[in-house]
Amino acid sequence: MSLSSFIAKLAGATALVGLSAFSVQAQTSGEPVKIGAIVSVTGAGAGLGVPERNGLLLAEKDINAKGGIKGRPIKFIVEDDASNPDTALSKANDLIFGQKVQALLGPSLTASTVAVGGVTHANKVPQIAFTGIGPAVERERKCVAHVLPPQRLNATALLEYAKSIKATKVGVLHDAGYGNVVMAELKPLADKYGVKLVAVEKFEIGATDTTTQAAKVKASQPDAVFIIATSATPFRNVKQIQITQPVIAAIGSSSYEYVNAMGTAADNIVIPEFVVGEDPLPHQKDFVELYKKTYNSTPKNYEAAAWDAAHIIAAALNKAGADATGEKLCEAMKAPYTGVLASYNFSADDMTGIPISSFVFSKLVGGKYTRTPFRVAQ
Amino acid sequence: MTISLVLQALFAGVTNGIVYALVGMGLSAIFKGSRVINAMQGEFAVIGAMTTVLLLTKSGWPYAAAIAGGAVAGALVGAFIEVAFVRYMAAKNASEDSFLLLTIGLALSLSASILYFVGRDGHLLPPLGSEGVLIVMDAVIQFHALWLIAIGIGATLALRAFYHRTTIGLSMMAASIDADGAATTGINVARMRTFTFVLGGLLGAMGGILVTPLIGVDYQLGLNLTLKGFAAAVLGGLTNPLGAAVGGVTLGLVESLAIIGISSSYKDVVAFSVLIVIMILMPQGILGRAGRRGG
Amino acid sequence: MSSRSLLWLVPCLVIWAVLPFVLPRNVADLLVFTGIYTVAGLGIGLLLGHCGIVNLAQATFYGLGAYASAYCTVMMGLPSIAGFIVGAVISMALAYVIGRPILRLTGYFLALGTLALSAIASALFFEWDWLTGGTLGIGGIPKLDLFGFVLDRPSRYYFFVWIVAFACMIVAHNLVDSRTGLMLRAMRDSSTAAASLSIDLQALRTKVFVVCALFGALAGSLFAHHVSFVSTQSFTVDRSISFLLIPVIGGATSIPGIVVGALFVTFLPELLSKLGDIHQILFGLALVAVVVLMPEGLVGAFGKLRTRLARRGGGHG
Repeated sequence: MSLSSFIAKLAGATALVGLSAFSVQAQTSGEPVKIGAIVSVTGAGAGLGVPERNGLLLAEKDINAKGGIKGRPIKFIVEDDASNPDTALSKANDLIFGQKVQALLGPSLTASTVAVGGVTHANKVPQIAFTGIGPAVERERKCVAHVLPPQRLNATALLEYAKSIKATKVGVLHDAGYGNVVMAELKPLADKYGVKLVAVEKFEIGATDTTTQAAKVKASQPDAVFIIATSATPFRNVKQIQITQPVIAAIGSSSYEYVNAMGTAADNIVIPEFVVGEDPLPHQKDFVELYKKTYNSTPKNYEAAAWDAAHIIAAALNKAGADATGEKLCEAMKAPYTGVLASYNFSADDMTGIPISSFVFSKLVGGKYTRTPFRVAQ
Repeated sequence: MTISLVLQALFAGVTNGIVYALVGMGLSAIFKGSRVINAMQGEFAVIGAMTTVLLLTKSGWPYAAAIAGGAVAGALVGAFIEVAFVRYMAAKNASEDSFLLLTIGLALSLSASILYFVGRDGHLLPPLGSEGVLIVMDAVIQFHALWLIAIGIGATLALRAFYHRTTIGLSMMAASIDADGAATTGINVARMRTFTFVLGGLLGAMGGILVTPLIGVDYQLGLNLTLKGFAAAVLGGLTNPLGAAVGGVTLGLVESLAIIGISSSYKDVVAFSVLIVIMILMPQGILGRAGRRGG
Repeated sequence: MSSRSLLWLVPCLVIWAVLPFVLPRNVADLLVFTGIYTVAGLGIGLLLGHCGIVNLAQATFYGLGAYASAYCTVMMGLPSIAGFIVGAVISMALAYVIGRPILRLTGYFLALGTLALSAIASALFFEWDWLTGGTLGIGGIPKLDLFGFVLDRPSRYYFFVWIVAFACMIVAHNLVDSRTGLMLRAMRDSSTAAASLSIDLQALRTKVFVVCALFGALAGSLFAHHVSFVSTQSFTVDRSISFLLIPVIGGATSIPGIVVGALFVTFLPELLSKLGDIHQILFGLALVAVVVLMPEGLVGAFGKLRTRLARRGGGHG
């Protein structure tokens, strides 16, 4: 980038830090309430971690501007796990035993969440993860909540939309990581929605080309195509070989970075997600405006998830007491909560409780997000 | 399995293969000239592509000039690495593994730098020629991909001619085969090594610039390209750029044929197994003794 | 061992034993990782330093050991020792079967062969998710239980891991210091001369490759019981590259070098992360600095420093 824009970025960041410090002093006083957070700022998960950190810091400012936790400021200590579960574990140990945080937010990736959950569960530290629930062991960890939907729900949302457009034959293009997990949930559910999976093609994470797999999907003549990936490449390949059927993408592909990388392929793609910054739902408007004003960009799902997690833990602390920890804080956290992203109920079996009706179905038209009126009735 | 599907697989295989070939040729050229395995060859591609993107979008240069800028950036970074690091280490008789570690460290730094300074966005470039496609029996190939293949073949032939017919090329080969002997004939061995890295950087940048209109460039592209390019180069005998081209196309075709012939789930397993089998059956590389000798 | 080095040994052992109790918990945690990486790095060091072979497949054996421990304890309810043994046996068997054809290759062909092996294994770990759990992985691996004494915190697990590491170091040392070691060095320095002395090069390389795989599997099993969760992301080609760094940074031919390399790979990223978002860039640069300025590795550089200081002292005396 040019020198001037680099300096501008630096200045903006400094201003934000200064503003945060100032606002903490302005409205609250006393010993800060320390909450730890682990996100993937570097590495492959940076697409999740950076927006999450932004959402967290904005929420911190917001909570403190409204009086903090019973007058005391809240402070989020944010660490980077570099998209590595081993590092996440070390950071968790540091935050819990070294910094003595009362609760832990994050991590951004499933593997890190399960690794960290081993420590938070064993030491009764409440945790709100920025992932959907993972392997079976997580269901026993009653104090690890999740603010993003389980893959089962993502699969359901894809199928609901397919049913609504009367697609009975669906071709799937998915990656070996995230895609495999969603597919495991999608396959048994497909029949219920009258959907036959006529092609299921896989590509490796970080693939530089998926044209041949896309060609196999095209050859199966589907009514619609599901793309489950965390990269823009399959979208480009699908359009390049002139697949004209509607494309329905899983939430993992939904970010401005991917849309930019899709180029002209970012068209006629429907995504079941939660936050469409260009056309937010009424209860999301305030958050979107505040985010736009502060960061000069439009927020999406991960920023909102982090914002919600921060407010949930703040609400729990306000209810249970600013020094609450362990079981007491965990119980206070479990109350149903309606956030910007979705409605939650952490007492539910999937430790998330998001209903299918929380989904908003966006559509990419000419590289821009629009909100379709389609909702799933509960 | 229709003809159309096979044809599409062939199109994809050759296109990807030429991309791997371009990376592999740069790797091959650097190894040929300096015995260094360049683990950051893929990063040259990213540097070239990112520079072109920034010159085009942020500084508003015309496309042709931006491309030239990207290529020059690759060449300059190559020269810098040789002058700043390789020369020093070579004077101290560092082992081959140390050089490998050097390039690994540089690759990590560069990839992280791009994430830090440019961000996690993917970027595209406009395609060469037009946005159009060629359709043959329902199989689609972009015009840009055709340009990519043509330029890749052209680069391979040009490189071969360079090494065998130009004075600099012959000097570079001589300097790497026998440094002392070359020095006695008046060849500036150190400068030849710098040229080697310049050439490698140039080839890498070119590969990156050519592939970006198809798949986009981001901070993670480098490592994947390096691995595939390394495979292409080794298949070709490692010191023969023509071999790297053959190796790259072989790898690309094996991948896409595995997808349609076996299953997309096992593509990597099949492709790499075939790689191992080829290496065991053809220990001199695909081009045989000629590959070993350097064509 | 001379009485002089024994004198050094006692305070070193005391310091080693006391560390996990005086250091904060997350540092003790990192020391456990250091021990695990030392075990894995020893194998690579043997292949690199004494056979001149670049092995980029260690993440495969590490993964096999980890998954074996995970599967045996969580899915099959067997005692933890079963996981260790199954992992070790499978890894050694695989190393033997794959090693025989691959080790016929030389130089960078061999490196690529091991890289291909790593890529194949990584793809299979992802694909066979009925066995490995795929990206979701296998969680809830129990902590090790030694006759009722549960190793559930870093300060306890530390001792177990490092005792295993010491045992591996002794095995490696014996291998290097024996007739086999002489043959290895002969093979590394001049394979034609070694062959002319009727040393079976192929059998020798396979043997060391199998030992490397054993160490990798042990490290993997130790890892599984430490983190209690294993998933595909921990066993990619990146991990193989990290393991390769260990002997090269420390100094491939010396065993203390492996420990130093493991310390570097474990602690440096942690220390650098305090410096903010640029920590990954700094790690790459640190690697470059070590390689450029200390071509014999950190231990080699330390040795040179000692020689230079001794010479200066000797000059006066």
